[in-house]
Amino acid sequence: MLKIIIPTTMLIPLTWLSKSNMIWINSTTHSLLISLISLSYLNQFSDNSLNFSLLFFSDPLSAPLLALTTWLLPLMLTASQNHLSKETIARKKLYITMLTLLQLFLIMTFTATELIMFYILFEATLAPTLIIITRWGNQTERLNAGLYFLFYTLVGSLPLLIALLYIQNTTGSLNFLIAQYWVKPISTTWSNIFLWLACMMAFMVKMPLYGLHLWLPKAHVEAPIAGSMVLAAVLLKLGGYGMMRITVLLNPLTGQMAYPFLMLSLWGMIMTSSICLRQTDLKSLIAYSSVSHMALVIVAVLIQTPWSYMGATALMIAHGLTSSMLFCLANSNYERVHSRTMILARGLQTLLPLMAAWWLLASLANLALPPTINLLGELFVMMASFSWSNTTIALMGTNIIITALYSLYMLITTLRGKQTDHVKNIKPSFTRENALMALHLLPLLLLSLNPKIVLGPIH
Amino acid sequence: MLRRALLLGLGRGPLGRGLGTHRGGSTLDWDGKVSEIKKKIQSILPGGTWDPLYDTSYLPPERADVVIVGGGVLGLSVAYWLKKLEKPRGAIRVLVVERDHTYSRASTVLSVGGIRQQFSVPENVQLSLFSIDFLRNINEYLAVVDDPPLDIQFNPSGYLLLASEKGAAIMENNVKVQRQEGAKVSLMSPEQLRNKFPWINTEGVALASYGMEQEGWFDPWSLLQGLRRKVQSMGVLFCHGEVTRFVSSSNHVETASGEKVNLKRIHEVHVKIDQSLEYQPVECAIVINAAGAWSGQVAELAGIGKGPPGTLQGTKLPVELRKRYVYLWHCPQGPGLETPFVIDPSGTYFRREGLGQNYLGGCSPTEEEEPDPGNLEVDHDFFQDRVWPTLAQRVPAFESLKVRSAWAGYYDYNTFDQNGVVGPHPLVLNMYFATGFSGHGLQQAPAVGRAVAEMVLEGHFKTINLSSFLFSRFYLGEKVQEHNII
Repeated sequence: MLKIIIPTTMLIPLTWLSKSNMIWINSTTHSLLISLISLSYLNQFSDNSLNFSLLFFSDPLSAPLLALTTWLLPLMLTASQNHLSKETIARKKLYITMLTLLQLFLIMTFTATELIMFYILFEATLAPTLIIITRWGNQTERLNAGLYFLFYTLVGSLPLLIALLYIQNTTGSLNFLIAQYWVKPISTTWSNIFLWLACMMAFMVKMPLYGLHLWLPKAHVEAPIAGSMVLAAVLLKLGGYGMMRITVLLNPLTGQMAYPFLMLSLWGMIMTSSICLRQTDLKSLIAYSSVSHMALVIVAVLIQTPWSYMGATALMIAHGLTSSMLFCLANSNYERVHSRTMILARGLQTLLPLMAAWWLLASLANLALPPTINLLGELFVMMASFSWSNTTIALMGTNIIITALYSLYMLITTLRGKQTDHVKNIKPSFTRENALMALHLLPLLLLSLNPKIVLGPIH
Repeated sequence: MLRRALLLGLGRGPLGRGLGTHRGGSTLDWDGKVSEIKKKIQSILPGGTWDPLYDTSYLPPERADVVIVGGGVLGLSVAYWLKKLEKPRGAIRVLVVERDHTYSRASTVLSVGGIRQQFSVPENVQLSLFSIDFLRNINEYLAVVDDPPLDIQFNPSGYLLLASEKGAAIMENNVKVQRQEGAKVSLMSPEQLRNKFPWINTEGVALASYGMEQEGWFDPWSLLQGLRRKVQSMGVLFCHGEVTRFVSSSNHVETASGEKVNLKRIHEVHVKIDQSLEYQPVECAIVINAAGAWSGQVAELAGIGKGPPGTLQGTKLPVELRKRYVYLWHCPQGPGLETPFVIDPSGTYFRREGLGQNYLGGCSPTEEEEPDPGNLEVDHDFFQDRVWPTLAQRVPAFESLKVRSAWAGYYDYNTFDQNGVVGPHPLVLNMYFATGFSGHGLQQAPAVGRAVAEMVLEGHFKTINLSSFLFSRFYLGEKVQEHNII
């Protein structure tokens, strides 16, 4: 594990000591190399986890997330080059440092054994993200967005600290590898109910659950492109990963406590998909579609069946790549037209045909076209929830239809139709942008050939 | 709840009561400080924009989709139609930048306020027809919840255009065009004129055209206020400032014939706040130039016209300021209440104003007599030398009249063909024009606003085809000349 952590830490001095025309090249190349190292962890030998030390481990759940996190850093750096080009050199280096710091905390979070260490790094990821959103975001609303983001997540996760300390006091250890063997079934007393709520609320806010999702559209829309990418791709998955880890300690109470959250997620899934149909702001549409996909993951984790866990893991990785790609596409639009409103930049297929191809593939992945892993995840979750209760198939089916509707709506509005006069002189697609989209799409398509990598520990 | 606690806590405590109740203000200015703190806290609470150092609510937003330069009737009309025609509600963020909120020099409010369909260009007739329909049904278009209905005081008295022998054939042609478009205009011989309007002296008049419906005059100020109110209720942002700079990027491209052109795209508009050096860069996707008489200067800021003359690059926007005088006089023996808006073949015009035998009128000066547009001072000698003789000749009752007052206003005069410029610029692709109407902008404003909004949202004109009014005609030399412009 140190072979990832130390190079990532060293990326910071690399950025600060590089020459001004080499910062992007250096940081992107070296982060790409680090991601190639993390790919080796995907090869899991045994049913058990791969233990590196007392502090770090990786198992088939955290290895794909780790690979996603490290893969995302070079992509974030590639995407940020344009909007940072007018800043001073110190600001650019600071930005890259923030991204690297965030990456570092995320790597350590996904591979932590001690749940307290997980918690500390979970909270630590808030700081660089907040700085990125509020300092480099585009509009005045970003201050509001940062406030919402910070306080929602903080208030949700403070009870988690107390719960973890309590569990540490009663069971003696919070090392995840040991705790899964020492776990005792907890009875339905009021204090245990509060314990359950305290443990789960942090992750519910992070996912986000439908009733607590207000911070997400604001944060996603106001963040700069790298902020949106990392938020959508990785930070949301922290919630899912944490839920999957912590439910191990909370049986069988989850069976009863999960009902309100399951209802909220099932309903919220359809609500947020429907909101997407009425969105005028492109980034806002993608943000709400993130909420919708994550609601499926919440449903899967709360049902706690083997199939649903497989589906949840696959869906997390798939959504990470797809959502990040959609944000990059929306950003390439924004950099040309300087407006995120969809109706002002239409008919782009005739002007930018290759970018239209990427739009098509990303939208098709978003609406869970076979044989992508998006479909795999959604299908597994659908099947598991059907076996949990037959009625959910109606809701899941409706959600799939509405997801297809808004993905196609986004496609048609941005690509088809007659162009308006003011888009006729936009710059053609840069190689950097095409490379960015290809690097997002390639893992997604390759994974559909061998999905068992991302299907999690149950497989 | 938090807000109430704060108000209670920061309100008049026992200390405040003692100091603040002294008449003449206390040296501590407790009230002022408290309201400042309250304002600051309110701006911090979620829902408001927050700047930690000072209140920035007077600045325009940092980003807007469409920036409309100029808040007169054309600018507000474009804003209204943009908000009305956008498919999902609330999709576009529109910012109207107006540097003078008292509208002291704006052409809109200094206008005589007439509306007619008697033009020779068919598009002008269509524009006026839609505009009068808009104005007659103004409370259906511009209704705001809980606000009183608008009354633009439309006087449907019609226009009476008089033609001499030379102009009679042109007038007949024009009336034919107008009737084709649907305007109801009647042609009158001098005999019929004398019968209908006994106060007219028909010497030198061969033919007259009288608009029977949909013509007259109205109050431009109430139209402006109505539009402003409605547009604010639809969510358009207003800013009190002046556009000083456009930040743009260029692309050098080659056309199919091998000619090299420079395509520009405006990225940011720098809005300078009134009476201050502070400016705010507003990132925008589209800029609409509705600056009226000053559109030429705004276009130059965007780099339109910077190039070798004779090329598309070097074609300027030919809109300049021209000063026109309007005189208000009282004549007790003057024509009665059915007086239309009379336009003499010499160019003098007058109309009834109010019910007290007052009349408004003026005359367009010839090219040589053009007054200096530097200020809005009125030249009374112009009335004595040019306007009064022709008035007295046409209406004998006007030989004895008393000038009550006069004012001057600007025409956004299009020196090329005195008709409006509408639509995008061929090279600066995200600047749209809605200007240059040379004295008939107010009457065509609603229709022009709709046409520009269609152009911005759809890419082509849907209802009235104004493609002959595009900017490219200045380069191609295709004049849309109006026969009969005052």
